[in-house]
Amino acid sequence: MNSQSESSVQISADRSAAIEVKDLSFRWDKHQPALTFPDLYLPQGEHLFLHGASGTGKSTFLSLLAGMLSPASGTITMLGTAIQKLGAGKRDRFRADHIGVIFQQFNLVPYLTAEANVTLPCRLSRMRNISTGQNSAAAAERLLTALAIPESHWQRKVTQLSIGQQQRIAAARALIGSPEIILADEPTSALDSDNRDRFIDLLLTLAEESNTSVLFVSHDRSLAQRFHHQIQLGEVPA
Amino acid sequence: MKARLAISLASASLWHRRKVLALVCLTLTLSVTLLLGIQYLRTEVKQSFTSTISDTDLIIGARSGQLNLLLYTVFHIGDATNNIRWSTFQDLKEDSRIDWLIPISLGDSYKGFRVVGTDQGFGKHFRFGRGQPLTLASGQWFDGVFDVVLGAGVAKQLNHALDDKIILSHGGGRTSFSNHTNTPFTVTGILDATGTPVDQAVYISLQGMEAIHVGWESGIAIPGRTLTPEQAEGRDFTPGNITAVFAGLDRKILTFRVQRDLNQYSGEPLSAVLPGVALSELWRLMSQFERALFAITGFVVITSLIGLVAVLLTLQTQRAHEIAILRATGASPGLIASLYLIECLALAVVACLAALAFSALAVSMLGPWLLTNYGIQIPLRALNLDEWALLISVPLAAVVVALIPAFSAWRQSRSQGLGSGAE
Repeated sequence: MNSQSESSVQISADRSAAIEVKDLSFRWDKHQPALTFPDLYLPQGEHLFLHGASGTGKSTFLSLLAGMLSPASGTITMLGTAIQKLGAGKRDRFRADHIGVIFQQFNLVPYLTAEANVTLPCRLSRMRNISTGQNSAAAAERLLTALAIPESHWQRKVTQLSIGQQQRIAAARALIGSPEIILADEPTSALDSDNRDRFIDLLLTLAEESNTSVLFVSHDRSLAQRFHHQIQLGEVPA
Repeated sequence: MKARLAISLASASLWHRRKVLALVCLTLTLSVTLLLGIQYLRTEVKQSFTSTISDTDLIIGARSGQLNLLLYTVFHIGDATNNIRWSTFQDLKEDSRIDWLIPISLGDSYKGFRVVGTDQGFGKHFRFGRGQPLTLASGQWFDGVFDVVLGAGVAKQLNHALDDKIILSHGGGRTSFSNHTNTPFTVTGILDATGTPVDQAVYISLQGMEAIHVGWESGIAIPGRTLTPEQAEGRDFTPGNITAVFAGLDRKILTFRVQRDLNQYSGEPLSAVLPGVALSELWRLMSQFERALFAITGFVVITSLIGLVAVLLTLQTQRAHEIAILRATGASPGLIASLYLIECLALAVVACLAALAFSALAVSMLGPWLLTNYGIQIPLRALNLDEWALLISVPLAAVVVALIPAFSAWRQSRSQGLGSGAE
């Protein structure tokens, strides 16, 4: 599997890197060929669009970045920490403290209310709780308001909400406590185009407010223009 | 902070799945109720058993097994194989080693309760529990031929008061077709409750027993031959037979010698048994059964715990998304595993509390019924140490079996990538 960088990711020495990946490869088991991933360098506060067709290992790549899988070779340095060298527990800790994650769908814990879903990271990470000024509920309410979730929905079971609302609540959860990095795995693929554009606008605007870097994965190339950088995963379609 | 998060997540998750889990919880509740109930009954029945008779050194009746003799004289279960002659009773009275005797004459009933023909010695010498004597709640012991003293249970159940007239029936059974209608008895006394079979019987004098059977020699009343109370005045009603005798000795050390002598009595074949020995034999018989029952209920509890784990494992596939979210948010595999442990523990604790309430309800509702029908007293009391231990072992066992889904969740979430794995 080849990978190719479409636009060269710039190295700005004055700012520390949010994500830096070198010579990364992964294999699910010993008998399978290794997946290789492009090198990348993302300065703190800038956003990266990662394009790839399905089956190019997008989710595996995100799992590696999130520290949920261990690479076969290469280094992943996030915020100056080589996370592949950390133990499993430390990687969980790191993820809780510094990374927000948004999935394609099923983003929310079904038995928690919208607000409880948003504050979940602050209960798992002291650091993110402190970032909200020890008041995760107020931070959650601020984000939910900014993401246009009506107040009447805050204490509702999330299963009663629309997909668009659920994705925006997931964005609020990823944003709360101002983590340095947000990994978004096709968060808009279940949304219609109006909702999709609104979602990306809100996500990027709110991320910029807290100087958060967003790594956005999608198969929809038309979204790429909103990001500072973009790279291609897998072969470029002819 | 992690523990609080785990507990709040687990309780929210339990509440979310309450419909499915309520059923498994109910299964567990019922089986724990059964387990606890049987353990409780074991203790109480044993207590009730050993306190039915006290201070009586020998029970003497016609030749039969000691269990049979014990059952029909003390528990009013079953019938005597034969009677013993009045002359034998007189002989026993002559025996200097014997301190006191209580004659017992059985065979009739009053609305299903045994009629016991005896003498004043019953009130004076009979002891139960830890040597407690019988006391009268009201009235006095029988004096006249047609006087009757009621056990507490009889008086309560049939709502009798002093001076009520009652008609005794011939033979046992709840409904008898041959009644001693000509000779009504007057209630002169009502006993205090003892929690023993004494409560479930009525007591008349041997003379009364004899008087109502005049004219009944063939087994049914022959018209014109039976007595009226007026005719009975002044007649001598020395009985020809009695059923059994309770005896107390002057010197306990002689018990075995007296027993041997009586078993070899030349006048007629007798059996003398030691109530304590007979009771423990009866208990040994019962305890086999009771132990088997206990083991079975133990297995029932284990079965329902396994059922609980099976349900939790089934739910695990439904929880893949939720686990993926928690993991992505930074929850460790340990936290995920602890959710299963906490949920299983919580279900077991709820089941145990419900079982405790169920058992208390059952005991307070069935207790009076058991006392009336079987003469076994099952009072509501605080649990003893054994029972607490048994109850607490259920949540502990639940945690042990919950290790299965917990470990499987732990392993799965360690090897899983971001997302639910279903790309």
